[in-house]
Amino acid sequence: MLGNLWRSSVSGLLVVSLFGMLAPSLIAQTAGEGVLTGRVTDPSGGAVANASVTATRIDSGQKQTANAGPDGTYKLELPAGNYRLTFEATGFKTLEISSATVNVTVPEVLDGKLERSEAVNSNLALTQQENLPNAPSSSMTAPSLSDLGLSPEQTRGNPQEQALLDKRTHMLKIHQRMGLITTIPLVATVILGPGAGGKSEGTAARDLHVALGSLTGDLYGITAYYAIRAPRIPGTKKRGPIKFHEAMAWIHGPGMIATPILGIMAFDQKNKGEKVHGAASAHGPVAIVTAGAFGAALLSVSVKF
Amino acid sequence: MNKRILIVFLPALLAALPMFAGADSQWLLQQSTLTYHVSHPLHQSEGVSHAAKGKGVCHAGQCELLIAVPVKSFDSGDSNRDLHMIQVTRGAEFPLVTVRTRLPESDATASTINADLEIQFAGQTAQYKQVPFKLDKQGNEIHITGTIPATLTDFKIDPPSLLTMPVKNEIPVRVDLTWHQQ
Repeated sequence: MLGNLWRSSVSGLLVVSLFGMLAPSLIAQTAGEGVLTGRVTDPSGGAVANASVTATRIDSGQKQTANAGPDGTYKLELPAGNYRLTFEATGFKTLEISSATVNVTVPEVLDGKLERSEAVNSNLALTQQENLPNAPSSSMTAPSLSDLGLSPEQTRGNPQEQALLDKRTHMLKIHQRMGLITTIPLVATVILGPGAGGKSEGTAARDLHVALGSLTGDLYGITAYYAIRAPRIPGTKKRGPIKFHEAMAWIHGPGMIATPILGIMAFDQKNKGEKVHGAASAHGPVAIVTAGAFGAALLSVSVKF
Repeated sequence: MNKRILIVFLPALLAALPMFAGADSQWLLQQSTLTYHVSHPLHQSEGVSHAAKGKGVCHAGQCELLIAVPVKSFDSGDSNRDLHMIQVTRGAEFPLVTVRTRLPESDATASTINADLEIQFAGQTAQYKQVPFKLDKQGNEIHITGTIPATLTDFKIDPPSLLTMPVKNEIPVRVDLTWHQQ
């Protein structure tokens, strides 16, 4: 009996290891690019809002532009490589940084301190802008953000919160992918369940059921980890399907713990030639409820109903 | 004689000068509904905001309009989706969407207008030419409706995906604004 359980566990572990080897590549797909970030300031160190920051890839000439926020910070997500950086803002001289290296592991921080340009240049820039037919312009009469009565909290960028959101999304993407992958052995385990617990005395179907169940449990654990460890965003009130999704977790979570425990008991009884009895007989129904709750949780955030 | 005429009429002429220059007027955004629409093979979802603030200043026959709306104010009815939207649009770093346009003051009496818009969103600036809007003027209020044909690529936003399927690039934004003349 123990030999059978051992063989099943080993085969389960082998499949888990195979998925373990595949998982990093799945996770890596969500990482991809490096980050170039920094702050654009005037000579006094004050933020230069809306400054244009252009990164030009040195080997290919490919360009990407971002605008600095109200606090002067900018962020560019770029493929790893060497870039030439250009900082531009009305009323300031263009600043060029001839080489900056972006790698995928550590964000590159490059601040741009701009020198004020001659008055003639800024007037020229304004004139050129004004000459565009029916184009947005910034004249003396144009309203500004300060005219709108927005609070500083509403206008000020918060890079820390953005970093938290980025981490949350990254972890939930992995949660989503791992959840989808978990569905495959979960469905297979449920399908093979009746054969494993039937009157047949053969152990092959039971061993396969145990192996797939073990794989499901392990993948489920990884899936749950990324949901539980994803950062919470302060001040967010939960609304919509996510509430149902989380409610289902309170069913399939304990179910995923109870099912294998009951399964081991049932497995033991079957291998002794006994009919599955007592608490072990709940293995099947608990597994069905668990799988149903898992499926409902998945559908609740995937399909509108 | 000529000097006397000049002395009599000069103050009146000076007083009338601003009228010829075009009187200033201001418009304030009184009510607003901005709705973005996102299409996914499994979902059609919309996010609505009523939190836009706006001001228009008219001078010499030209009106400069500015509208700003906090990215976080859009509500799709799903807090998880809204947080993803804020993340993917870098709404914490760039918390406002601003729309600027300049229109002839005479457009206030038209029933349709085409406006050139400059939109700052997600740290990027995009310009939209000749976007059609319907106008309905009643007394001191103008009701403006239209759709801005925004796309994710205009603002260098990576399309979010669900079940490995990305959303469509088009994210049209329906605009429903009521402006009040001060």
